[in-house]
Amino acid sequence: MPSFLDALSYEFLRNAVLAGVLASVLCGIIGTFVVVKKLAFISDGISHAAFGGMGLCFFFGIDPLLGAIPVALACALALGAVDRETIRSYDALIGVLWAVGMAVGVVFVYKTPGYAPNLMTYLFGNILLVTRRDLLAILVLAVSVLATLAIFFKGIVAVAFDEVFARVRGLPVRLLMALLLGMIALSVVILIQVVGIILVVALLTIPSVISLMLWKDLRGVLLGSVGIGVGITLGGLLLSFQYDLPSGPAIILLGAVLLIGVYGGKKIVAARPLLER
Amino acid sequence: MADLNKPLVEIRDVTFGYGREVVLDHVSLEIGARDFLAVIGPNGGGKTTLLKAILGLVNPWSGQVVYNLPSGKDPRGRLGYVPQFSTFDRDFPLRISDMVLMGRLGRHNLLRPYSREDRAAAERTINRLGLAGVARAHASEVSGGQLQRALIARALVGDPEILFLDEPTASIDAESRDTLRGLLADLNRAIPIVVVTHDITSLAPMVRRIACINRKLFYHGDPELSLEVMEEVYGCPVELVTHGVPHRVLHDHHHHH
Repeated sequence: MPSFLDALSYEFLRNAVLAGVLASVLCGIIGTFVVVKKLAFISDGISHAAFGGMGLCFFFGIDPLLGAIPVALACALALGAVDRETIRSYDALIGVLWAVGMAVGVVFVYKTPGYAPNLMTYLFGNILLVTRRDLLAILVLAVSVLATLAIFFKGIVAVAFDEVFARVRGLPVRLLMALLLGMIALSVVILIQVVGIILVVALLTIPSVISLMLWKDLRGVLLGSVGIGVGITLGGLLLSFQYDLPSGPAIILLGAVLLIGVYGGKKIVAARPLLER
Repeated sequence: MADLNKPLVEIRDVTFGYGREVVLDHVSLEIGARDFLAVIGPNGGGKTTLLKAILGLVNPWSGQVVYNLPSGKDPRGRLGYVPQFSTFDRDFPLRISDMVLMGRLGRHNLLRPYSREDRAAAERTINRLGLAGVARAHASEVSGGQLQRALIARALVGDPEILFLDEPTASIDAESRDTLRGLLADLNRAIPIVVVTHDITSLAPMVRRIACINRKLFYHGDPELSLEVMEEVYGCPVELVTHGVPHRVLHDHHHHH
């Protein structure tokens, strides 16, 4: 059996590694905002809704990514614009968007003539199928998301921390929230390529949740979650290669093990003074 | 140049509500240049909503809020606001110093890094409020009193022309309340202060005027109120509503002075 390093001479594996690293950097940073602003359910909703756009593109024989981007962005902006008082149950709205997106996607995939694409690939991702063109698209999206965040960083942090205070300071809170949701939507689309629709929310949250337990200032949390994200993505790929596991689940499970380990470690450290007494 | 004799803020006949329910019913109120105004009343009586209307966070159904700030500037970014602890996430990964610095953020520097002056102003305010020792600490690691002062620092660092505090004594211990009283008395020498509170007693000595809100403005005046009268007044909205005689309870005490 060839080693992982030898196998890196294959283009598909190099693409996978590069896509994984890019996605991890993005989800470490955007994911931190998802976690602190409690937007995990919204992100999950966007991810599933995006499948509607992908299915439509399938049917017409276009690159699914082109369908996922506008649908994800539209969902994000709609969720940001909807008046929470009027809609009464914001939670339910996200759930509806989620289910409708999946239903539309499945219907179009089912009706697509000829070769039926493997649904499992979209639900659980296959990073090993990332092509050079996909990689370029991921790179462009990731750079534009991170550049937008860099430009509006102070304002987005202020809105994420205390929206009311940001409004009192006269900041354009609605614009900043819309930007944040838009960035989350684009990140979700990128992550679908790597871990698939169902696992997106895990990759978006696990590195940041771990990092938040270990660091206290924002810079530390952001850098930490990028590092952890890259670590579990590459580690998961390695496991997937060595033990012939599907790549998306391997990445997520490695992250979950690390999360439990760090949580346990923190608990033991916290309990030690009591035990030594 | 703004007219110094006019009130800084005039709330003119403001009506506002949520859905169909009216929360503020034709409320008129003024905030003067040296005011220490306590807005009191029962829970759900519209105290916080009135504060939101003054801060421009909600748009009145009718009536208006008119500003006449000493700087003559637009009120946006010129009003200091100290929220309740429950309105933000205490576990957010920010140091106290970062939180204070955030009070310098506005439309003008949204896309630029914080300037040297911003950082100097934050440091001065941190020192002034006795937070130097915890400036590097995280919000979840400091005491309630320290967090309260950090929120006040965040409001002050932008040089506000009025300071608004929402239930400032709710989450802090007795010692911190003493510190807070001294601090507010000191600040009140320069700017008017508006406090929304259900705990009028801990701030009683420095309150110059009270506004009693329970949907309508029930009492708005400037007596030299003693602590006992204050307590009586705090109970007023409930009594007044049940008896339907708005001014008698207050006037009885009022005339002793």
